[in-house]
Amino acid sequence: MPAATDGTVAVSSLSHTYGAESGEGTLALQDIDFSVAKGRFVSIVGPSGCGKSSLLMMLAGLRHPTSGEILCGGAPVKKPDPERIGVVFQEASLFPWLSARKNVEFPLSLRGVPQKVRTEKALHALELVGLKDFAERLPHELSGGMKQRVSIARGLVQDPQILMMDEPFAALDEQTRFSMGDELLRIWDETHKTILFVTHSLSEALYLSDEVLVMSARPGRIIDRIEVDLPRPRTFEVMSSPRFVELRERIWQQIRH
Amino acid sequence: MRMTPAHVRWLLLLVLLVLWEALPRAGVVPTLFLPTLSGSLLALWQDKAEYFANLLVTLNEVLIALIFACGGGVLLGLVIGASGVMRRLMLPLASSLFAVPLVVLYPLFTAWFGIGSESKIVFASVYGLLPTLLGTAAGVQTIDHHLVTVAASMGANRRQQILRVYVPATIPTVLAALRIGGALVIVGVVVAEMLTSSAGIGFLISRYRTLLDSENVFAAILLVLFLAIAFDAIVQFVERRTAGWQRSGQGTGDGASFA
Repeated sequence: MPAATDGTVAVSSLSHTYGAESGEGTLALQDIDFSVAKGRFVSIVGPSGCGKSSLLMMLAGLRHPTSGEILCGGAPVKKPDPERIGVVFQEASLFPWLSARKNVEFPLSLRGVPQKVRTEKALHALELVGLKDFAERLPHELSGGMKQRVSIARGLVQDPQILMMDEPFAALDEQTRFSMGDELLRIWDETHKTILFVTHSLSEALYLSDEVLVMSARPGRIIDRIEVDLPRPRTFEVMSSPRFVELRERIWQQIRH
Repeated sequence: MRMTPAHVRWLLLLVLLVLWEALPRAGVVPTLFLPTLSGSLLALWQDKAEYFANLLVTLNEVLIALIFACGGGVLLGLVIGASGVMRRLMLPLASSLFAVPLVVLYPLFTAWFGIGSESKIVFASVYGLLPTLLGTAAGVQTIDHHLVTVAASMGANRRQQILRVYVPATIPTVLAALRIGGALVIVGVVVAEMLTSSAGIGFLISRYRTLLDSENVFAAILLVLFLAIAFDAIVQFVERRTAGWQRSGQGTGDGASFA
């Protein structure tokens, strides 16, 4: 299916109600509509509990919305499909009993890819995130930032066109967080993936993205979409530029209530 | 050279062994209370055929009881730990049973199963099953369910989620439970043999005690010690091979063992 590899994401009239089966449910997501062009870096921000992580889980095929349609690469998303969509979670999502390499090989081994090919692909993905020399380490022997880079390698190992990231750097300290952001931008630049990035940090969203989707408190709706017209490559100084401050203020005004 | 905790442990053991030999020899302690180490080892050597035959009896009982206690304990623990309903129904029952001194039931078991190996196996199985069950059930509950979601996002089906996530994640706690359960199985068998029996190491301890033959009592005790240490070493070996990721992660690696 060639259409399935083009890296676009399209969500139309998606709504989700928790406990809908038992009558009175909680409306969590309401009329979500957006589309993402191939190769774009799009962040989703919003107050905690607005359902941004749930939305990402639905886009990744891990949960099913009550209504609405999700197309990734032109085809509907019904179940997880790591060849089409790679998912990167928060810290502590590595299997602690497997080495970095084995963690990256995991999705391949589920599909019965031969060991030789697995190793080759895993080492290639680890090289991309700069961790080739740490391939045989166990997760507890790696720093928080390194663990997250292994997670990214695992999300990329099957070369999906779309990468979904659920607050991937939330557990890291500020400094590591921004250097990981730079690292992610470099990988994005080299691989031309479409990236959907959920975060609660406005600075992080603006620093990384082409576009920021702003969600309201529950029921989560998309209340603004901001084209981040800051020049690339971005450096740390961009965060003190007037335009950055202005965009940050615009988002802040909308989600503070 | 600086002394590491391991060095100190070995040194303490050595001191203990030397004292064991020296104190009775010097007449500080009557040999009826504490025979010399060499005397006990000599007794062991002289009656080696008898000791060997009885060791086999005990070993056989321990192995069969281990299968029941650990197999049953792990299986029941997995079932109970994985289901919320079973947990609420069974866990309070299991933990209160664990608090009961089960040894009071042993005379009953001899009435039901005779004074041969069967009653020891049944008693030790029950004795070791409860802690194994409780430990395993507790372990299952501590599994990070987030990891199951992670596996699902990579396309793992239900069977792969169980085999590739649940099973490896429970191994450390199951092994820890086995270690406790297994040690209790050995205790159960030996105690049962000491109470009522016609063979086994516990039987020898009991018999030699009534004959006031301290050297042979200690010889038999040494064999039980050896049995317990060997079992523990085996479990620790398996732990190191399969669960190294957790031991070093949580700083439980430096146990109080000599191994």
